[in-house]
Amino acid sequence: MFEAIAFYTFSAVTIAMFTITVMSKNALYAMSALAAGMIMISGFFFLLDADFLGVVQIIVYTGAVMAFYAFGMMFFNTTRLVKENIRAPKLVFLLSGMSALLLVVALVAPIVSDHIEPFYPVVEGVENPQAVGIVLFTKYLVPFELAAVMLLVAMIAGIILAGKKMDESLTLKVDGEDEFQNKGSK
Amino acid sequence: MSLEQFKDRNVTQNYKFIPVDKPPVAPLDKFKQALKRTFKGELFVGLWVVFREMVRFNIHTVQYPKEKLPISPRYRAVHKLYRLLESGYERCIGCGLCEKICIANCIRMDTRYDENQRKEVTEYTINLGRCIFCGYCAEVCPELAIVHGGRYENASEQRAHFVLRDDILTPLDFLKEGKQEEFPGFGAVSPNADERIKKTPLAY
Amino acid sequence: MTMTEFVISTIVKILVVLGIFSALAGFGTYLERKVLAFMQRRLGPMHVGPYGLLQVLADGIKLFTKEDIVPQNSIRPIFMIAPVIGAATAFIALAAVPLFPEFEIFGITVHPIISDVNVGVLFVLGVMASGLYAPLLAGMASANKWGLLGAARTVIQLLSYEVVTGLSIMAPLMMVGSLSLIDINNYQSGGIGDWIVWSQPVAFVLFLIAGFAETNRTPFDLLEHEAEIVSGYATEYSGMRWGMFFIGEYTNMITMAFLASIIFLGGFNDLGFIPGGLAIVLKVSFLFFFFLWTRAAWPHIRPDQLMWLCWKVLLPLAVINVVITGLVLMI
Repeated sequence: MFEAIAFYTFSAVTIAMFTITVMSKNALYAMSALAAGMIMISGFFFLLDADFLGVVQIIVYTGAVMAFYAFGMMFFNTTRLVKENIRAPKLVFLLSGMSALLLVVALVAPIVSDHIEPFYPVVEGVENPQAVGIVLFTKYLVPFELAAVMLLVAMIAGIILAGKKMDESLTLKVDGEDEFQNKGSK
Repeated sequence: MSLEQFKDRNVTQNYKFIPVDKPPVAPLDKFKQALKRTFKGELFVGLWVVFREMVRFNIHTVQYPKEKLPISPRYRAVHKLYRLLESGYERCIGCGLCEKICIANCIRMDTRYDENQRKEVTEYTINLGRCIFCGYCAEVCPELAIVHGGRYENASEQRAHFVLRDDILTPLDFLKEGKQEEFPGFGAVSPNADERIKKTPLAY
Repeated sequence: MTMTEFVISTIVKILVVLGIFSALAGFGTYLERKVLAFMQRRLGPMHVGPYGLLQVLADGIKLFTKEDIVPQNSIRPIFMIAPVIGAATAFIALAAVPLFPEFEIFGITVHPIISDVNVGVLFVLGVMASGLYAPLLAGMASANKWGLLGAARTVIQLLSYEVVTGLSIMAPLMMVGSLSLIDINNYQSGGIGDWIVWSQPVAFVLFLIAGFAETNRTPFDLLEHEAEIVSGYATEYSGMRWGMFFIGEYTNMITMAFLASIIFLGGFNDLGFIPGGLAIVLKVSFLFFFFLWTRAAWPHIRPDQLMWLCWKVLLPLAVINVVITGLVLMI
């Protein structure tokens, strides 16, 4: 019973949060609702006894949405409404609604089927993190390593993009001080 | 804490010049500096110093309303009106010099001739809300009737309380107990005044 | 244990933890003021109650009765909810911390942990990290430039030090082979020699440094650095909403002290003649004192120094530490 209550509460809150994310014109509302929704999703993992994934959901999305806030802070005045320029609202809503529906149908379809067999069923006596590790390093090894390489590439690219003027300190002003000292000595 | 250290004006300052090196520029030097600072234990020196002070428990707090620091006799706080020691009459002769010299215009007095054709001060008020405590009134008073005392806590609920003459006049019973001391404040003659008097040079 | 018993015992535990730790957070402010005062040759609060002990109560009355101001151009709901996030996450994080060894009371064995998640460490750190949404949202919603600067600093501080915390506890976790705080505690049950701090000193130092940054304590107290950005994210706050940030901060400090003493300092195992419950209280008190000690002794650092320290010093050290631990474990 508690699980049912928890499930329906979490799903209601999650859906409400993501609705706010999509509908709100205020960047701060949208981002906060996104963060709240992401953290609420971790509740489902906990309900399914996937503690590790639940915690990872919290940790990863706390940081990720926080980065969104940084962008929001840089691009908008977050206390004002954003003027959105939507030309054909009906078409946009129709297309996005259809694709969302398709996605849901595609993902929910296997529930109806009777012929589902898990490739990697839950092994008794293996804890959560170990189970994730086993799957990650057997079945999903290639995507895992690919993702790692992609992240590395992104990191190096970011360092190169941002690092052009890294030697110049904004606060220390070593050169300026030297000039001043030279003037003083003359 | 005695007053002696306030009076001593021959204080020698032991300033110590701390040489400040130029900040390192080369990356290797910066790295060396960071390494040196990490392992030299400067941070722990800081920790030790504050811990030592905590253990020594050498507290300098003055718990103000309960304890008060002594105040210098030259301090110019709320005025006092003095009485003559023998008769208990007010020293003020109503000359009006203080009223004239007051640059904040806060002294008002009212005088009349009494039955002996002596001047009598009927009203004397100092508006402490306006007073800037410059000390001119005490300086100019020929009779040492108005001096500056050491009472610096002047807060009140009403402005009217800042002008009351009764508060600054020495009470009669206080005088009879001999508690009106002659040199407590600014504007009065210093205790060693006799020694400091010199003959007026008349040799011109 | 039946379902009803479980629910009742959990609710009782939650109430006890909430009550004790919010009181402790208040008492923590008193301790902080006293310790800082003694280290600076002052007396600290003295007038309310004997030795100022009732100062906390006076502050509480003041905070509760103060006007709750919401500035005009702020985003009202988020402005009002931000402090609640701060206090709530601090207490939620405590849910997975085993506070004491098991003990018996009225014939019932009590496990002093609200919820024994088997990934306890990660849960506590994750929830504490999401607690930094409080200053972020507060700063961004209060329509104040100082607040915005405070929020920006929250972002950089969280994003960088989160990594260091994770990597620094990775090495001890590799040694223990479990993410459960109880397992980590039991791993060190053999006395002082078994403490992880002896085999992982670097990780301990890194964890403490990152802990200071995550709980927003002095050497990294950039979010509300008075000398630079007035009061940072809390500039526009007043009354109990302002107080809630600090209940959260002090609870986080206690949680951090619990984590450090469980992971590195032997947890609640018996220490010679000292029973385990007392031992962990001593350790946590020392670490809490250390938080205050550094506040008296060390200066703040600049944000660019914070970033420099994190990415160029602590992160490489943490990675090297993990690699070396891995090599040692393999050989």
